[in-house]
Amino acid sequence: MFKTLAGRALVPVGIAVTGFVIVCYLLLYSAVKNEVNRDAVQHATNLADTILKSTRYTMLKDDRETLNTVVFNIGEQKGVEHVRIFNKKGIVNLSAKREEVNQQVDKKEEGCITCHRGDVPITTLGSMQQARIFKNANNKEVMAITAPIYNEPECYNAACHFHPPAQKVLGILDIGLAQDSLHKTLATIRNLMIVFSLMTLILTVGGVSALLRRSVFLPMRQLSEYITEEKNAAAGHLTQPPRLPQDIDKIATSYYNLRLKLSKSDQELNELRKDKAKPE
Amino acid sequence: MTQQPLIGQEAIKTDSLESLQQNILKEIEHFKSFSNRGLWAVSLFLLVSMTAWSDFPFLDLPDSVLTALGKPPSSQSISMLLLIYTFSAIMLSLSRMMAGIEHKSSFVHVGYLTGFYLFYHFARALDDNYWAVFGAGMTILAVESYRIWTFCSEKIIKKKEDLEFVRKTGRPPLED
Repeated sequence: MFKTLAGRALVPVGIAVTGFVIVCYLLLYSAVKNEVNRDAVQHATNLADTILKSTRYTMLKDDRETLNTVVFNIGEQKGVEHVRIFNKKGIVNLSAKREEVNQQVDKKEEGCITCHRGDVPITTLGSMQQARIFKNANNKEVMAITAPIYNEPECYNAACHFHPPAQKVLGILDIGLAQDSLHKTLATIRNLMIVFSLMTLILTVGGVSALLRRSVFLPMRQLSEYITEEKNAAAGHLTQPPRLPQDIDKIATSYYNLRLKLSKSDQELNELRKDKAKPE
Repeated sequence: MTQQPLIGQEAIKTDSLESLQQNILKEIEHFKSFSNRGLWAVSLFLLVSMTAWSDFPFLDLPDSVLTALGKPPSSQSISMLLLIYTFSAIMLSLSRMMAGIEHKSSFVHVGYLTGFYLFYHFARALDDNYWAVFGAGMTILAVESYRIWTFCSEKIIKKKEDLEFVRKTGRPPLED
């Protein structure tokens, strides 16, 4: 394979094009995946902010019934796996799942450990760090966002209930979104990219192979066959070379002319020999 | 009187022919060992890739390095650089293959690729981009290995023909 002209020409091109297309595919897929994930996190963060802003007045009024209804209704939405609000001590005050209310959240859980790794919990995080991905009890992949509910002047000055001003975080809103649709989108993008890469590969390598075969390998084979046939042809039996591309045709014509001259010389030499051999 | 110098010249000629043959044989040996250079580079790259796969266990954690060196470039910038590097390296290798140049560049590429692994590692993006670096490395080193191997094969054939010519004619081979 490596000794033939076709092998020598196609192997490096094949390796280079295939490798480069694969690298491009992997880098592009990684970039698209990052963008889709970032968008998903942004979407979930915006959703958490919307919930916090729309429930702010209800929280200030300490209207637990309305808060419960809002949280329950959000939890009923398609793609929302859990919504809960827990206080600083980690006790769930509100949840879309009734059985979670008044339960203690485990600080060592995957979602909590980011802030509670040290002795003093972290109170501010970037939006990417707020997001965490894990499998829930139903073995479903979930992306959860935790949004801290900060203590504001309206909270610690409110007449209805009192929070000390020194308390920085009053509670946490925790919302979990199913990753199914995200995975479906990524799988569609991945499959489309694989098909696109394969088509590019086939077109490039196939195109180069076809062109080389048509323009180089086939004429070279014809030339080789012509030379083999003419090698032992007797004088006067030489045939014109086949129609070949310009560069290869020059070689074939040169070979034909050379063979013609050689045959003529042979003929002349033979005649001379015959003349010499004739008795005077 | 005149025979002595002739015998001496003959001896010198035989010695120079012997040394010429030895030189050609040495060159053949050199090309034989040089043709494996690409494979050695691939082996070294596989070793580095295995270390990268296990997140460079002998290195400090990214946090301590980031504290010392500052914020790493974004993974998009590193990816863009990797793409340009892969394209340039393949083009350079194919050009050298076309020109028939002897260039010992394989191990340099292993160094560059290790750099990419490290950059991704410190940017915490190695998990997403590991296979891209691996693919780029295997492609570049495969093309380089092929280039070196074909170059050496051609040279070995040429040197063997030269050796045959020297043995048959007793004259030094013709220059290209």
